[in-house]
Amino acid sequence: MNDATILLAAPTPGAGANEAAPAAGAGDYEKVEGRDRETIECQRACEAVAADKTASDYSHIVWAYGVIWALFCAYGIFLWRRSQRLADDISALNRKLERVR
Amino acid sequence: MGRTLPLVLFAFGAGTFPYCVQRVFFSTPMERQMGTVQKIFYFHVPLAWIMMLMGVVCGIAAAIQLRRQSSRAEATAIAAAEIVLVAGLGVLITGPIWGHATWGKAWTWDARQVSTGLLWLIFAAYVLVRHYGAAGSERLAAALAIFGAIDVPIIYYAVKIWKTTHPDNNVVGTLPPEMWATLWPCLAALLAMSLGLMLTRIRQEVAEISLDEGWVRIDDVVRSMTAKDDGKDADKDDGKDADKDASKDEE
Amino acid sequence: MPQPPAATTSLRSLARQTWLLARNDLRQEMRDFELVATAGFFTLVVLVMFGLSFSTLGRYAQPMAVPGILWLAVAFVGSLTLTRIFDREREADTLRALLAAPVHRLAIYLAKAGVTLAVLLGCCAILVPGLVLMFDAAAPFAERPLATFSLVFLGCAAYATIGTLFAAGLSTSGGKNVLLSVILYPLTSPALMFALVSTRTLLDGHPGFEGYLSQLVALDILQLVVSAWLFESVLVGTAGGSSRRKRSAGRRT
Repeated sequence: MNDATILLAAPTPGAGANEAAPAAGAGDYEKVEGRDRETIECQRACEAVAADKTASDYSHIVWAYGVIWALFCAYGIFLWRRSQRLADDISALNRKLERVR
Repeated sequence: MGRTLPLVLFAFGAGTFPYCVQRVFFSTPMERQMGTVQKIFYFHVPLAWIMMLMGVVCGIAAAIQLRRQSSRAEATAIAAAEIVLVAGLGVLITGPIWGHATWGKAWTWDARQVSTGLLWLIFAAYVLVRHYGAAGSERLAAALAIFGAIDVPIIYYAVKIWKTTHPDNNVVGTLPPEMWATLWPCLAALLAMSLGLMLTRIRQEVAEISLDEGWVRIDDVVRSMTAKDDGKDADKDDGKDADKDASKDEE
Repeated sequence: MPQPPAATTSLRSLARQTWLLARNDLRQEMRDFELVATAGFFTLVVLVMFGLSFSTLGRYAQPMAVPGILWLAVAFVGSLTLTRIFDREREADTLRALLAAPVHRLAIYLAKAGVTLAVLLGCCAILVPGLVLMFDAAAPFAERPLATFSLVFLGCAAYATIGTLFAAGLSTSGGKNVLLSVILYPLTSPALMFALVSTRTLLDGHPGFEGYLSQLVALDILQLVVSAWLFESVLVGTAGGSSRRKRSAGRRT
């Protein structure tokens, strides 16, 4: 679950726009070709979609991996309990053997 | 040997798993169409392979059990069938999780989903018969397992022709070598875990079978001793105590 | 006069024994019509239930529903028939006697499978006309009787081959008929799917019908061979001893 939460906290479009705003308003700046506000917003929007998808993907992955290992653990526990029962049975048999002797 | 091999396998699986995760998330390129969620693939597909492999192992072991009356083969068949159930459940749950992320729908009646589901049902029936079947149903269950193993390719083919009218959802296309390089360690880790669990289960089942034989033998001994005592003490009228003992023993 | 080869003689005696056993079962059935009456009535009930559930389906949905109705009804009736056939054996404990008799084991299997198939075909004689009456989409059944018969025959045979093996095994291993459905439905799913596909192509007038039918033939043969091969080891194993484990388990508790 942690992976998903960390990824959800990744930069969002709002944060990116804030960084760009003071630079544009300062007046004394060097113009960067091809990085107008529209392009940046568009890019940020795309990134937001991608981030959402990644977050959702990671939650799916965590669920899937969790299920696999939970199943194996459950089976392991089942086997362990079975072996406990077998051990009890063996000691019961031994007790009976002693009595018969 | 019998005790250490499962432990070695578990240790190998546990050691390989972190390496697998490292490879899956840091050393393998992102699949272009599905993105991050495709990483489910590295555990989902090996699990499906293990399921089919164990299904076939179960069928072969059941055939040997029928032919040679071998209790080891019987134990192997049971253990393999249980691994089919566990791995199959894993496949059947992770598949829809992956499907939900890529197709937006968990269960699409995709040919692979249906055939995996049917196969799982057959082995679930096997385990049910083993568990709830009356005395002597071991051989019936063995026949069921043999049919199940034979059904593996037939079901796959049948579902394919059943689905001919639908688009082919070819999720796993041709894989680039880096993805194969990640798939193998994942397969190794899961296979080691499954084999370890299976060997443990085989040992348990063999122990249980010989334990049952032990109980039968000890009961026979008790009964013959009681009979002997009865014969000896019939005149002395002491047989009562022996009878009491025997009935106490038999609980 | 040259002697016929041994294989031919044994094949002929196998066929004769099968026929005698099957005739015996059929004769017993002729006496009270128990199986035919109950299975036939059950078919009718299932047909009416399906009709009630699906009669309002539209023209486009019907061709998809009819194959499912046909083969699910066969599956239901099949498990009822198999249970009843072997219940009868169990009540009189005749299967055990039959296994001890100098009869070819294969003949027992083939006779039982034949009787099951006959009962299933009898039920289909109610089911198919009923479907034609109830659903417009089922009209091709009436238009192509030969194709319909071969399809129904092969589908029922696929069901009977597997069903007989497991019903016989369960009947000798001491009860729990609920397990028959548990075993039968998953195991017959490939046969069910082949039959469904063939029926759908028949209803659609698809040219691939014969191809699917031949695949169903191949499946029938495979199932027959495997079941016949397993029959002896399953029955002999369950009928004679080998119950050491449950015996001890019962005693221990």
